[in-house]
Amino acid sequence: MKKIILLFALALLTTAPFFGQIELPISELLHMDSMEHKVFFDIRLPRVLLAFLVGGILALGGLIFQTVFRNPMSTPFTLGVASGATLFTAIAILLGFSTLSPLFAFVGAMMTVLILFGVASRFERYDSSSLLLVGIALSFFYAAALMVMFYISSLQESYEIMRFTMGSLDIVGFENIIILTLTSAFLLAVIFKYRYELKLLLTSYEFAYLKGINVKKTNYILLFAVSVAVGVAVSFTGPIGFVGLIIPHILKTIYKQSADKLILPIFFYGGVFLVLSDLIARNLNTMSDIPIGVVTSFLGAPFFIYLLIKRKSS
Amino acid sequence: MPLKIDNYSNDILKNISFILESREHLIILGSNGVGKTTLAKVLCGITPSTAVSIDTIIPSKIYGEKRAKLINYIPPKLNIFDEFITVHEFLELGFMDGIVRVQHLTGIDDVLQKLHITHLAEKACKMLSSGESQLLLIASALLHNARYTIFDEPTANLDPKKMQLLFGLLKDDHLLQSKLIITHNLDLAYKLGYNILFLEEGAIKFYGSSSDFFTQEHLDRLYDGSVEKHENNILVKL
Repeated sequence: MKKIILLFALALLTTAPFFGQIELPISELLHMDSMEHKVFFDIRLPRVLLAFLVGGILALGGLIFQTVFRNPMSTPFTLGVASGATLFTAIAILLGFSTLSPLFAFVGAMMTVLILFGVASRFERYDSSSLLLVGIALSFFYAAALMVMFYISSLQESYEIMRFTMGSLDIVGFENIIILTLTSAFLLAVIFKYRYELKLLLTSYEFAYLKGINVKKTNYILLFAVSVAVGVAVSFTGPIGFVGLIIPHILKTIYKQSADKLILPIFFYGGVFLVLSDLIARNLNTMSDIPIGVVTSFLGAPFFIYLLIKRKSS
Repeated sequence: MPLKIDNYSNDILKNISFILESREHLIILGSNGVGKTTLAKVLCGITPSTAVSIDTIIPSKIYGEKRAKLINYIPPKLNIFDEFITVHEFLELGFMDGIVRVQHLTGIDDVLQKLHITHLAEKACKMLSSGESQLLLIASALLHNARYTIFDEPTANLDPKKMQLLFGLLKDDHLLQSKLIITHNLDLAYKLGYNILFLEEGAIKFYGSSSDFFTQEHLDRLYDGSVEKHENNILVKL
């Protein structure tokens, strides 16, 4: 089972750049100055890489949020962190700082994490369901604030923000890919450095504490790393929901191993999932590509409801 | 290295002070809701307080192996978030530096054997019965081997055979340096013979030797006649 999925995933990754509205015969690709060559290397390949890296970051972000907030439905999206990043990217566009949007997105993400922690520390006892509700309230608040941004923006800014909030993997060239590769490396490095602590957090906070772990500090570091990575990812692609929610769950069901052993698989298959979603979005023969966020939400929302039903019935 | 708590109060506990010398054991008794678990969490640092110290070190102020070596708390129930962590993996986490060495593995095997749960090694912790998970918690306490180990109702879910097994371990002076045992099982408390601390309404009502505690007259006063000393056993009148 695992091997079949892996083979399928590898086949998908290697062939994904060849599918699209323009056919790319291999013979033409080899000509350095052909149009096909340009399409393949400047558009298709960066796009697949972008989808892969962003998918990986979002899936790992989901895993870390689920572990730290102790709720299988916690992700940077359900807790409003991605909405915070989206809002601040819109603000960046509105202020004319589009190039600084990764920084703005990070500030939005981090601010949300700090609000969540601030609220959680006011609870007499840690309560993951209430925190989820706080995250949902925050999301609504950010959505309203985003409306205000639309309201005060010009037609062109408004269109730019609208495209952005639908999620898009349009990209040309490798500049952003390099930034995202570094971001992914940073996130993976932090998670691997704190792997032992992460495993202890997978038992219980009290158990981790009694083994000498500074639980609060570890949580902050992990969430900080995720906020940086998700902030950067969201600023490039817009909010793409549900990857962080469904990938960790599917992988746990397939591998039946504790989450600390699934760090690389979750990153890998998060990437594969987004590459697949993008492939669907690009090849439905519509006039233009369907926004990627639409595809992941169509796949993810039913799964989310399924998860809720399963949780309630067990 | 005495464990000391100096005049601690909160919503539940009132003016708690006592000293437990190194290598001495203590049994903590009291009715439901008098603050036994609260006290345990204060002592081990889960509820931080500067009133607690072990040889002038305040456990909740330090981190890492240093604190882990000082004091450990074993809750009445195993609480695990991840579905797939196995018994063996859980015990591997008992070693502070995160590296599992060969001697650790034999240590785990020994402890599993000691508690008769070798057959559960590869089972997911979430799938254990309440008695089995209680034994797993005891196993993790033995591997952790802190100077002070607090057991919170370690016998609550055990069948008679496992109870005997656990009694043997708690009675064994070579296992664990100092044990603090919270229990409702008076017979167990009596047979262990360790000093008794009795809590009532959040305050210490009695702190002294087992023989002073377990006199019929004293028991009648504390338990309103619901407990009877019968030859060498403490019985609950039903």
